[in-house]
Amino acid sequence: MLGYVITIMLILGFSCCIYTGNSANALNYMLEGANSAVELMLSLAGSYLLWLGIMNVAKRSGLIDALASKVEAPLRKLMPNVGAAAAPITLNLAANFFGLGNAATPFGLDAMKKLYEGGGEQTKRGIASNNICMFLALNSSAVELLPTSVIAIRSACGSENPNSIILPTLISSIISAVAAIMLCKLFERISKHECR
Amino acid sequence: MSAVEIILLLLIAALFVYAHIKGINPYEAFAEGAAEALPTIIKVLPYLAAMLIAINLFRRSGAMDLLSTFLAPMLNKLGIPTELVTLMVLRPFSGSASLALLQDTLMIHGSDSFIGRAASTIVGSTETIFYTLALYCGSVDIKKSRYALPVALLSGIVGTIASIFLIKMM
Repeated sequence: MLGYVITIMLILGFSCCIYTGNSANALNYMLEGANSAVELMLSLAGSYLLWLGIMNVAKRSGLIDALASKVEAPLRKLMPNVGAAAAPITLNLAANFFGLGNAATPFGLDAMKKLYEGGGEQTKRGIASNNICMFLALNSSAVELLPTSVIAIRSACGSENPNSIILPTLISSIISAVAAIMLCKLFERISKHECR
Repeated sequence: MSAVEIILLLLIAALFVYAHIKGINPYEAFAEGAAEALPTIIKVLPYLAAMLIAINLFRRSGAMDLLSTFLAPMLNKLGIPTELVTLMVLRPFSGSASLALLQDTLMIHGSDSFIGRAASTIVGSTETIFYTLALYCGSVDIKKSRYALPVALLSGIVGTIASIFLIKMM
């Protein structure tokens, strides 16, 4: 699916550049994109080192297993056979919820690794399991207690009450998370791949 | 400094002390975990580059504006005002660009206007879907994301409509 999306974006982008007589800039736009990927990864490298390091201290101390045993049962309702991914998924969702965006991604990538390993033959062939789809869908809803960057922009733009959007933001992100869960369950039923 | 930050610092300190009590060297354990960081980044970078190259071209060429114009009548019918359509279309593609557009929107319409509050709520309650999917799927060589993208996009639309509805009510 992402492959089609990228091809469509490229074709539409090129067409627009050619149509508006801007074709000289098309390659520059693409190069800018590649550069921003490098910059982004460099800026994320530090947070990956930090949080993957801290998580392993917790793992070696037995705390990750302790967390997993607490959260596995409730998570299994959403993702059957969630297994070793339960702890990093919980850490990812918790970090997102408390607005620690740069901690959430390393936990999320660790969760993906565990879901991949637990997905058997299907994920080995590069096909997302039901659990992976559910995790990606949950992650797309951005359930957050304090949307700090938005509040900062509202303050900077002279809002009388920058915090007035906290409650509606929380409620609407919960609504979209519930929608994501229901849509996943629906697609699971009509989808042909079996989850292992 | 917020309560969350203080709690977090105390937790990390407690974690390192606890490791010593358990007879584990947290320094070694930290290094062992951090060793996974760079391989992960190297694995993800090509996927992320492909995605960001396409997104940047799509946005800067003006194709994304055409998509907004094309989708506007349909989204208007769902109760999404024209002023918010561009923001809604941009949001799943780019986090930094949608924050910049949010700032413009707040400047033009006012932070506390209906449009301003709805725009803030939309940005806060949705995610940079294309980036997240490219990153997460790329990190483990998932080539077929199956229904993950449609579910993420549809639930984003639900979140956007809910945001507008909630701001109208509150």
